[in-house]
Amino acid sequence: MKVPILWLNDYVQVDDISVEELSDKLVGVGFEVEEIIYTGEGIENVVVGKILDIKKHPDANKLQICMVDVGKEITTIVTGADNISVGNLVPVALDGAKLPDGKEIHSAPLRGVMSYGMMCSGSELNIDDTIIEGAEVHGILILPNTFEIGVDIKDALGLNQYILDIAVTANRADCQSVYGIAREVGAVLGRKVKSPNFKYKIEPAAMTLPNVSVENFDLCPRYTARLITDVTIEQSPKWMCDRLKLAGLHPINNVVDITNFVLLEMGQPLHAFDLRQIDSEIRVRTAFENEKIVALDEKEYNLNTSMLVIADKSKPLAIAGVMGGQYSGIASDTTTVLLESAKFARGSVRATSRALGLRSDSSARYERGVDWSSIDAGRERALALFYQLKAGKIADVAAQCETKAPTPKTIVTSAKQISDLLGIEVKAPAITKILKSLGFTVTQSDKKLSVEVPLFREDVENYTDLTEEVIRYYGYDNIRSTFLENAKPTVGGLSQRQKNINTLKTLLCSYGLYEAATYSFINEKQYNQLKIEKDSALRQTIKIRNPLSVEYAVMRTQLVGSMLKAVYNNTSRKNNDFKLFEISKTFIPNELPLENLPRENETLCICLVGDNHNFYELKEIVSQLLAMFDVKYKIQYSARPYVHPGISAEILTDGGNIGYFGKLHPEVAENFSVPENTFVCEITLESFIDIKGREKHYTPLPKFPAVNRDLAFVVEDKYLVGDIIDEIKNAGGNRCSDISLFDIYKGSQIEDGFKSVAFSFKIQPENKTLTDEEIQEVVNRIIDAVQEKFNAKLRLQ
Amino acid sequence: MKQQIEKLTASCLEQIKNAANRKELTDIKIGVLGKSGELTAILRNLKDLPAEQRPEAGKLVNEARERLESALSAKFEQLHDEEVAAKLASEKIDITIDKPHHDVGCLHPLNIVRNEIVDFFVTLGFIVTDSPEIETDYYNFEALNTPADHPARDVQDTFYINDHILLRSQTSTGQIRTMEKFKPPIKMISPGRVYRADDLDATHSPMFHQIEGLVVDKHITMCDLKGILDMFAQHFFDEKCKTRFRPSYFPFTEPSVEVDVSCNHCHGSGCRVCKGTGWIEILGAGMVNRNVLTNCNIDPDEYTGFAFGMGLERITNIIYNTDMRAIYENDIRFLKQFK
Repeated sequence: MKVPILWLNDYVQVDDISVEELSDKLVGVGFEVEEIIYTGEGIENVVVGKILDIKKHPDANKLQICMVDVGKEITTIVTGADNISVGNLVPVALDGAKLPDGKEIHSAPLRGVMSYGMMCSGSELNIDDTIIEGAEVHGILILPNTFEIGVDIKDALGLNQYILDIAVTANRADCQSVYGIAREVGAVLGRKVKSPNFKYKIEPAAMTLPNVSVENFDLCPRYTARLITDVTIEQSPKWMCDRLKLAGLHPINNVVDITNFVLLEMGQPLHAFDLRQIDSEIRVRTAFENEKIVALDEKEYNLNTSMLVIADKSKPLAIAGVMGGQYSGIASDTTTVLLESAKFARGSVRATSRALGLRSDSSARYERGVDWSSIDAGRERALALFYQLKAGKIADVAAQCETKAPTPKTIVTSAKQISDLLGIEVKAPAITKILKSLGFTVTQSDKKLSVEVPLFREDVENYTDLTEEVIRYYGYDNIRSTFLENAKPTVGGLSQRQKNINTLKTLLCSYGLYEAATYSFINEKQYNQLKIEKDSALRQTIKIRNPLSVEYAVMRTQLVGSMLKAVYNNTSRKNNDFKLFEISKTFIPNELPLENLPRENETLCICLVGDNHNFYELKEIVSQLLAMFDVKYKIQYSARPYVHPGISAEILTDGGNIGYFGKLHPEVAENFSVPENTFVCEITLESFIDIKGREKHYTPLPKFPAVNRDLAFVVEDKYLVGDIIDEIKNAGGNRCSDISLFDIYKGSQIEDGFKSVAFSFKIQPENKTLTDEEIQEVVNRIIDAVQEKFNAKLRLQ
Repeated sequence: MKQQIEKLTASCLEQIKNAANRKELTDIKIGVLGKSGELTAILRNLKDLPAEQRPEAGKLVNEARERLESALSAKFEQLHDEEVAAKLASEKIDITIDKPHHDVGCLHPLNIVRNEIVDFFVTLGFIVTDSPEIETDYYNFEALNTPADHPARDVQDTFYINDHILLRSQTSTGQIRTMEKFKPPIKMISPGRVYRADDLDATHSPMFHQIEGLVVDKHITMCDLKGILDMFAQHFFDEKCKTRFRPSYFPFTEPSVEVDVSCNHCHGSGCRVCKGTGWIEILGAGMVNRNVLTNCNIDPDEYTGFAFGMGLERITNIIYNTDMRAIYENDIRFLKQFK
């Protein structure tokens, strides 16, 4: 909210302290000053000049040579502008002048003629038509003839003003106005705050007010109206226009300006209706379904029964608290005004404004809350302004329709209660002084403090709110550092799941993987890019009702799509060899549309990119991480549409499928514009990530040394090494361990379509050294089994 | 006799000195001290000497033997050392060459910072809780003293799934979930992802991370809040780091404060990082609102507490001078900078 210092000074003296000091004080009591705006920012040494003579430049068609009276002298300025004539007053940037865009003006010859400055346009001074008419014209800004020659342009245009842009917190509805801020400034500076001028004369009117009725007091607890007759629509006086402009509003005419002025000054939204447009009565009612209204912004809005309108007998006149209707507004020939000052429920205004996509200064204030007393203050202030501006006669007819007026709350507390919450002792007199300066009434009896809350402080409910009032003025610098002096000790720590995830991450990092972070919401088109079947459960996504864009529209049920986007971010920048992982949640709905919270599954995604990587590298990482959590699993070729059918595996456990790993399908690689040699893995961690440290038992080490044996077979290509190993294990029995493939060979010595596979394994004796015969017996069992099952030929023993 | 021994010894010592390798040395040794060696022969012939000369001669032989043995052993050692040195020298490689190696990765900077913060609070007895990212309106707003018509709802533009279910806009949901599950004394922090309808720019992102903190017990005061945060700031930034409370407003705390830390770049003198103020805003905090305690069936007349919430990206950006866009781009050159 923009608070001009000029305006603030009407109510509390602030022109004798620096704007920075004032800003600091406000920040200290909870009003964040987002910006200190100086209207003349960057303008130096620019004055009002009068053009005395214009001559053609002898050597340049487009240039003119002007003699300009700049007050203390008459100077020569060469210009290319063509909208000037002799006698015009113009802004003149003198030698050494500075302009808001940082430009400095210096005397210099233009095509051989010395120019001692520059005439300025409105845009060069960074001003628009709200500052002065004509500022947005292309060409030199022509100033009114009333301006004094030689005066600094900032003084002439009122560009020497400071404005505080204050962020008012959501609880301080009472401070959404110049006067509200003035109250806080008065308290923080310890200065008296002047009362606004509420004086006006009531004149008897020959007419009556339309009947006012309120249908639903929950939505409109109070509605008041006054009549102003003999209205003359004209421009507002300069002092009012200046204030409105500094606060960022365009002056329109006296009646509209008065309502805007009061909105900004007192925080009370008002509405002025032209009485001619009101058919018989004022009814505050909910709209009919599909009732239509054209608002002041000239757009038509379609209303529904949850929205409140101000209506007459036949039509809606205004969307309550949001915006008036176009035709009921003030026109140049308006003579009688019905002035509304009311309170509408903040939730109702908020919902209506959101539903219609229509926001206004009025709705912004109602949404935060307008208090009971401000209705009167706002209306009376407006009437006083009508009187002061001689904009009309205040008629002796008034109407109001209201529920029971609230009575001020009283909170009973004590200095001890407040001090206990703060942890420092603040004595009762200090508390009383602060609260009184903020408009609270405090009475002390015994050790109790009875605090009556002013009506404009609807946010104050209990002693903790009072504690905040006290400490923000007493000063947070007085809060000491203590370390939970009275608290009981507690045992902290990570959960088992969190520890396991950290361990898992350490393992992955040690394999050279870097952790990535990607968004949880994705573009639904990822499912097409991944070639996922139309009826796949993965497509059962939770959709965001109000997404920022299609890119962030649904909650992901898989991580691989986002990971491939990250891959693209790299490979498109020629980062062609890297390994990434992410552990994040997938969101699996139990039903759609969503009625209950979905399952949030902790999921791991791994991605290896580049020619240096292959399936077996990924397989090693996967098998090590699953071994770390004692996961028993089998693998089989994957039929997932987004992986290579011959170079990828599904991971199957007793509890079901927990994921897959393998090479990306080449078409999917193309869809994501990533290299074909991309390997991906996704594993749902939920089934094992909560396990406690494994139950370990010590097995005594064998007393007798194991015997190593190697066997090589020739088998048809179609047989899988894993199956042969399983068979060796099976045939070798318990004694046979550490079976591993150590060579695989295809070539000149092996028939086409066949391969040589060589295995090593150990035979472990139990309680005595094995004889050669006993060893050979085991080996023969293995040879027989492999030969039989795989039609293998023994190549080497 | 004596001359013979001395001559032999001198000749052998010369040979030993000149021996080029251990093979030559072994030959010398055998030639003089072996079974049929020259000195052995002299020793063997001692028995032919008169008895009175034998002790003298024996002594001379033994002395010669000792001298030769010691010379041999010294030379052996010398040759051994030389051979080892020569072998090692011949095996020397160019250690400045980099062969393709096994890289070690690292955590994402957000999680490096997160772990550091979590570790700090864990040592102070805080438990670490997780809570859902898709939440009900109740946990995100209602229970946090932010009813439907509350103006504070406008401050954060929330993503909704439907009228009752939304993407949580704050980890404060974790306060409610924790207080429903545990009774005081409670000390918890709850890190996680949160979502708000802000377009991605240098300081905003529609998804980001927060860490929520909560302490509830008897007689918890605002000074305790200040104490914990001071300790955190000093641990996390530097020992001289100071905190400053500024009054603020959150529906779920009363009183509420914004907390600044003294700028760790300029130490208060004002720089670009702190925009010349000497202070950097890092978190919001306050005393748990009585309505929030009541909503969780904790008697606000018996218990008080404080809560705080900080943006992980913001702190990461302060520490590493990163940018919101870089954080979610996952460029490997970015990620490798945090190893």
